[in-house]
Amino acid sequence: MKGKGMWVLFAMVALVFGFQTGTMAEEGVTDTEIHIGQWGPQTGPAAPWGSVARGTDAYFKMINAEGGIHGRKLIHHMFDDAYNPAKTKAGVKELQEGIGMFAWTSGVGTACGLSVKDYLMERKIPWIGPSAGSLHWITPPQKYLFAVYPLYYIEAKALCRYAVKEMGKKRIAIAYQNDDYGKNGLKGAAEELEKYGLELVAQVPVEKADTDMKPHVMKMKKANADVVLLWVTPVHAVRIVGTSHAMKFQPQWMSTSTCSDFPLMYKISKGLWQGVIAATFGELPDSDNALLQKYKKDAYGKFAAKGERWGLFFYAGILFSEPLVEGIKRCGRDLTRERLVKELEGLKDFKGIGGKISYAPLDLAEPYKSRQGQKEVFLVKCLEDGKYEKLTGWMRIE
Amino acid sequence: MMDFIQTVVSGIAVGSSYALMGLAMVLIYKTSEVVNFAQGEMALISCFMTYMVLEYHGFSFYVAFPGGLVFAAFLGFFLEFAVLRRAKEPNVLGMIIITIGLEMILLGVVSWKFGADPKTMPFPISPWDSVALGAVFVSALEMLTFVVALTVMVILFLFLRYSKLGVAMKATQQNQMAARLMGIRTNRILMITWGISSVVGCLAGLLIAPTTMQPYMMWDPMLKGFAAAVMGGMTSLPGSVFGAYIIGIIENLFGGYVSIEFKSVVAFAIIVLVLCIRPSGLFARHYVKKV
Repeated sequence: MKGKGMWVLFAMVALVFGFQTGTMAEEGVTDTEIHIGQWGPQTGPAAPWGSVARGTDAYFKMINAEGGIHGRKLIHHMFDDAYNPAKTKAGVKELQEGIGMFAWTSGVGTACGLSVKDYLMERKIPWIGPSAGSLHWITPPQKYLFAVYPLYYIEAKALCRYAVKEMGKKRIAIAYQNDDYGKNGLKGAAEELEKYGLELVAQVPVEKADTDMKPHVMKMKKANADVVLLWVTPVHAVRIVGTSHAMKFQPQWMSTSTCSDFPLMYKISKGLWQGVIAATFGELPDSDNALLQKYKKDAYGKFAAKGERWGLFFYAGILFSEPLVEGIKRCGRDLTRERLVKELEGLKDFKGIGGKISYAPLDLAEPYKSRQGQKEVFLVKCLEDGKYEKLTGWMRIE
Repeated sequence: MMDFIQTVVSGIAVGSSYALMGLAMVLIYKTSEVVNFAQGEMALISCFMTYMVLEYHGFSFYVAFPGGLVFAAFLGFFLEFAVLRRAKEPNVLGMIIITIGLEMILLGVVSWKFGADPKTMPFPISPWDSVALGAVFVSALEMLTFVVALTVMVILFLFLRYSKLGVAMKATQQNQMAARLMGIRTNRILMITWGISSVVGCLAGLLIAPTTMQPYMMWDPMLKGFAAAVMGGMTSLPGSVFGAYIIGIIENLFGGYVSIEFKSVVAFAIIVLVLCIRPSGLFARHYVKKV
């Protein structure tokens, strides 16, 4: 009996100590591993953007193959949410409460991200580089949320600035997806044009379910627009440009970074994408940038699945995760969430394969400065066969 | 005025693909009273197979397209024979649920096999070339779709009314037991109906695919085709075509003059309205089954 009592006591002590060590170590970090979560649509209507998560996966595998970060491997937990916020929320909770993620990276979709933003922030779990250029990430700014993707809003500003100042255009219209993504573009364009005393000559909303674009094109044609901004999905963009071509309406088309994968856009538009100007946030696929070439060789070349294309979305998955990796590196062996936030706040003009990234200590009055990392885009034009022509250098938009 | 005419013409143009899908759904409904929700995805997989033969194996368009239609026919035969016929104690609701299951499986297969990047089908007529009738533009592909839809409707109408097989199909729908007693092999009739319906759906898909192809491309035409069929009374071939054009035109007029945001949903508002006023649809004769 006495022996049994000793065993019970021993078990209780072990349990108590066990719990203590559990709470003392940072969640998702062990001596040899760091667990990072990510969602991305591998099926469903937004599946073309699924390569973002696969890009991150290849990037982490490359880092692990090179020895990891300070002796720890990055364990990437990626799941398919089919671009459905309900699935995003369920998947994030399952991974967070089941395995325990140290941090989350990227994550495609404004609505999907919004469905888990509060959950992650309340639990003080860092989330770096949401894969959507929404204003929601920084309004209000959050201590643990670091945006990388330049806002759709600033892309619209950059394009309007170019159209008015460099091309001398005055009649600018926009076809925008009737959701947060499209409305961000609408807001940026309207604000920028106001500076030059101009207004949008037509604002045409596009619903995701729309397939016939003639009524939309007729509205823009009637407004006699000479530049049309396209803040829609790639398929809608192609339909609008094609329908306009059929209706003999040929303005200068301008588009957001989501439609800047020119080889793809050129192919599905049967060549009509030629001449389109788009904003973009990362080096071009054929750029001779040394870092991009290294990723192409060591991440894409060695770890991408067969049939994967080296396109903008794929390496965007790397671009969005670079600040997280840099932050973890700067933490050294002493990796905690608080330390990671501190290190990220110290990033100044960090340069990966995108524009320069800087953050600052959290300041509610300065959301853009403190939590919007990349503030630069550049403009490109689509040439024959989907080749790129760089029109501008990095444009910084404040 | 020109705007109005353009809007109406555009409505007719977009209505043609709805009409083809509507025809395909009516065919199956006419023989088995099952609403086939897998119709769009059956067309989808046939289109992607055609695309595969064209793009990856280098066959000519004139081989690939008929090949796609033959594949569609066999797919229809197969699904009826291997899946629907195997249902234990079948009732209409159970069958409809099976078609929804098939829809998901076929969509999954296409997404898995071909990936999600948008594609475009090589086609002799560019979807973006147009014919100008004065100041009104119609794309050449839309004109072709219009002609195909009307031709298919006339052929099916004549087939069901005057051919032996067509009459057997009707008999199967009205009373399967009696039809069987009259010597009609009803199982075979159902299988053939699925085959024909699949071919008609595939035609719609092949005429949509030159614009853009992606796993979700048939969802909207299928829903609108279904809406058109319901409006026409579910059993009337001309009714479903008429319904499709009405939906196309109203959608466009609504988008042009009232609200572009609600353009896509207006079709369903019309259906509710039609069903309130004429519950059996605009064209169907009210048919009451005697118990």
